[in-house]
Amino acid sequence: MTNIGAPVYLEEKLEEISRSGRLDYRSKSLPTWCPGCGYFSIVESVTAALNRLEIDPCETTVVSGIGCASRFPFFVNTYGVHSLHGRALPVATGIKVAKEDQTVIVVGGDGDAFAIGGAHIPHAARRNIDITYILFDNGIYGLTKGQASPTSVLGFKTGTSPFGNQDRPLNPLMMLLSHGASWVGQAYAGNPGHLSEMICQAIAHRGFSYLHVLSPCVTFDKTTKTYKNLGMMVRGLPDDHDQSDVMAAMHEAQKTEQPALGLFYTENRPTLGDGLNEISRRSQAGS
Amino acid sequence: MANRPQILTDMQVSFCGSAGDGTIAAGDIFKRAMAEAGYQIIAFDVYPPEIRGFGKCIARTRVTFDQVYSLKPQSDVLLSLDDSHAIPHVGEVRDYGAVIYEDRPMATVEEGEHMSGHLKPAQLPYGVSFRELSERATSGARFRNIVAVGFIAGLYGLPRDLFHRTIGRKFAGKPAEVTESNIAAFDLGYDDGAKTFQVDINGFGPPPKRKKSEKVLMMHGNSAVARGCLSAKIDTFFGYPITPATSIMEILAKEMPKRGGRLLQTEDEISAVAAIVGAGFTGSRSATSTSGPGLALMTEVMGLGSIAEVPCVIFVSQRGGPSTGMPTKTEQSDLNLAVRGVAGDAQRIVLAPTNVEGCFKCAGIAFEIAEKYQTPVIVLLDLYLSNRYEAVALPNKNPFKLDATKWAKKPGKGDAYQRYKLTPDFISPRAIPGQQGMQHTITGLEHNELGRPNDQPAMHEAMSHKRHEKLKTAINYPNLTTSKRFGDKGRVRVGVLSWGSTFGECLEAMITVRKQGITCSAMKVVMISPLPVDEISRFMDDCDVVLVPELNYEGQFASIVMGTLGRPVHRLNRVTGTPMAVNDIIEEIQILAADKPKRRKAAE
Repeated sequence: MTNIGAPVYLEEKLEEISRSGRLDYRSKSLPTWCPGCGYFSIVESVTAALNRLEIDPCETTVVSGIGCASRFPFFVNTYGVHSLHGRALPVATGIKVAKEDQTVIVVGGDGDAFAIGGAHIPHAARRNIDITYILFDNGIYGLTKGQASPTSVLGFKTGTSPFGNQDRPLNPLMMLLSHGASWVGQAYAGNPGHLSEMICQAIAHRGFSYLHVLSPCVTFDKTTKTYKNLGMMVRGLPDDHDQSDVMAAMHEAQKTEQPALGLFYTENRPTLGDGLNEISRRSQAGS
Repeated sequence: MANRPQILTDMQVSFCGSAGDGTIAAGDIFKRAMAEAGYQIIAFDVYPPEIRGFGKCIARTRVTFDQVYSLKPQSDVLLSLDDSHAIPHVGEVRDYGAVIYEDRPMATVEEGEHMSGHLKPAQLPYGVSFRELSERATSGARFRNIVAVGFIAGLYGLPRDLFHRTIGRKFAGKPAEVTESNIAAFDLGYDDGAKTFQVDINGFGPPPKRKKSEKVLMMHGNSAVARGCLSAKIDTFFGYPITPATSIMEILAKEMPKRGGRLLQTEDEISAVAAIVGAGFTGSRSATSTSGPGLALMTEVMGLGSIAEVPCVIFVSQRGGPSTGMPTKTEQSDLNLAVRGVAGDAQRIVLAPTNVEGCFKCAGIAFEIAEKYQTPVIVLLDLYLSNRYEAVALPNKNPFKLDATKWAKKPGKGDAYQRYKLTPDFISPRAIPGQQGMQHTITGLEHNELGRPNDQPAMHEAMSHKRHEKLKTAINYPNLTTSKRFGDKGRVRVGVLSWGSTFGECLEAMITVRKQGITCSAMKVVMISPLPVDEISRFMDDCDVVLVPELNYEGQFASIVMGTLGRPVHRLNRVTGTPMAVNDIIEEIQILAADKPKRRKAAE
């Protein structure tokens, strides 16, 4: 049974969006993703978050690698770098070290992050560089038309794994927690309200924040991480979850059959920028 | 004793020992003292890749009154701290040169293993009790190397207090006893040397006077690169340690924070170069340094820098390759990679300094050019240039132009900023994050003027044209000597075309053959890509034959010249891991000048 409720008129909705200021953050390029792709709600949530946090588009740089998710910078009206496969984090590191006052957001997919770009994640996390990493996890390589990724489930049949994926999927939340990320959360593209809230918090966090977004690929995955399956699997974190307890966060992250949405772990500690400023201060003081 | 100089004006000293003997440290004190006195210096150390162990170390220093360009093939003094390593080098000591060695070794020496049995008839032996003197000064044998330096200083009548000052500075951070012990050891060696009968010489002449407007510093190529970066007001540096480039990063790690700069050691070379592209995108003056293996990893990101048109500078110090190759040996074999190593056809600017002073200039100018032409610039050194010391006169005034960027004006209302606008000079006005109303995304995808992905045939042609033509104009960049000819003017029998560190040896060879009556000039090419074809072509017009000596097996520069100009050259290639021997070049020039048709044909 669907509750229809009050009618929504297109003109009124457009007027409301226009007034909200959110469109200032959208570029004139229309997203090139497949209809129904989970990524639409991510771009929507990021622009809403930037608007809500009142961050000027010219004070924001969005950095990506290569993949479906990585086309993201073209669809927002901020500064952007659409870099190379796997290299979004080091490019973003260069930007943030050079220009501390920019809000730097990195977006990318599971292959970009955990296969080719895997070497960079531990170091971004341990340095606690003040950037936000939004990871779009659909468990598949979409732009190359459907091959297994580091988060594909066991047995998943794809173009490069016709007899089923043999490699155990990574657990990104466990990895980020052990790498020392100072903000680790999970959201779901099928729950845009929560997603938007999580993106807001992730950007507002001072330090390296990692938001894992479960997001179905409607074109190349009709069997595993679909809206239907994910919708039945996801749950909230327990009410008494202690966000400052890394062991509790890891305990929750282990429950991959029922992925929890919410903020797993957060801590406040000096950022890379703080450290570099301290080095500068010490060297100028001559010690 | 024919040709015996009364007062030496050009002295080359080689210290040779085993790793752990303090060979390099002895050479360091010697060259620093001589540079401080005001002499010209060229010094180069050879050492094994292992920190400990029994590998061979040689520290060679050439001290002269006038500027010279390379080490001499023959040393005037060989000082052995370990005969087993030094004996094979006896042959490089000239006639009536001095061979100094331990005369009272610790243990019994097997027949044929002591230096005294290996000297050539005309060489002058000096047996010195390094170990005993060291023990007398400090109750230990660790200071043999300092005794050795003292002995040479005493033998040649060099000022004692000069060395005391140098030793004091070298151990400045250490407890006072360290300096005292070293000076005591030095003095015992000095006294021993001073009372030794000087067979061949009456000492070394006093140093020349210097102009006051220059500060003369002794530094190696990497240090000159770091100073160039600092003079050019570098903002950010990202790097990963690799021999022989590491010292660039180490110097900057110390100096940049004092000046408000930021340096980060990244997780690998890919992230280092990706970070400088990110930093360059924000308008930060950014650089990295690496060697061949690191450069191989960087090529993909450098392609991004080319197509996204981001200024950044990559310092590369070549070593023996391929793969891990010979990390502590010199070679010029990464030229192809530096010029051509990229996916797709992106041209790249490559500068190759030929001496230590050139390292300083190229480092600073690389930033100017990167910003002016909005592109990655490689400055290509090699281990020989990175590690060799020269006394360099640096200008007191900052020689670098730091406002080379062509900035964009804010577009009118309704107009979008075009990051890749097609312009008559092929350079699109820049905007950087933080500037309002100029937001854009740079990309490694082919794009239109706005920077939006676009793979239409006309667009790829237009953008490829823009990127290539833009770089060609860099040949005329006013502040840079892209090539220069030395020696005979006009028509010559042999022309030597050279690049990088080998140019010093070429210059020495050219000077020598001219004295033998062969007309010869040598041209250095500093800008390797894009190649200054007009200058090279004019030079080749004047030469009967052109010789390209370089330290790689295939003749990579020769191939680039022949491929670009379509004219034949003669290759001279060595892959010994050491600088090219001047005599090899001289011999080749003599053969070419004598015009042996059979050999010429084979070479062409």
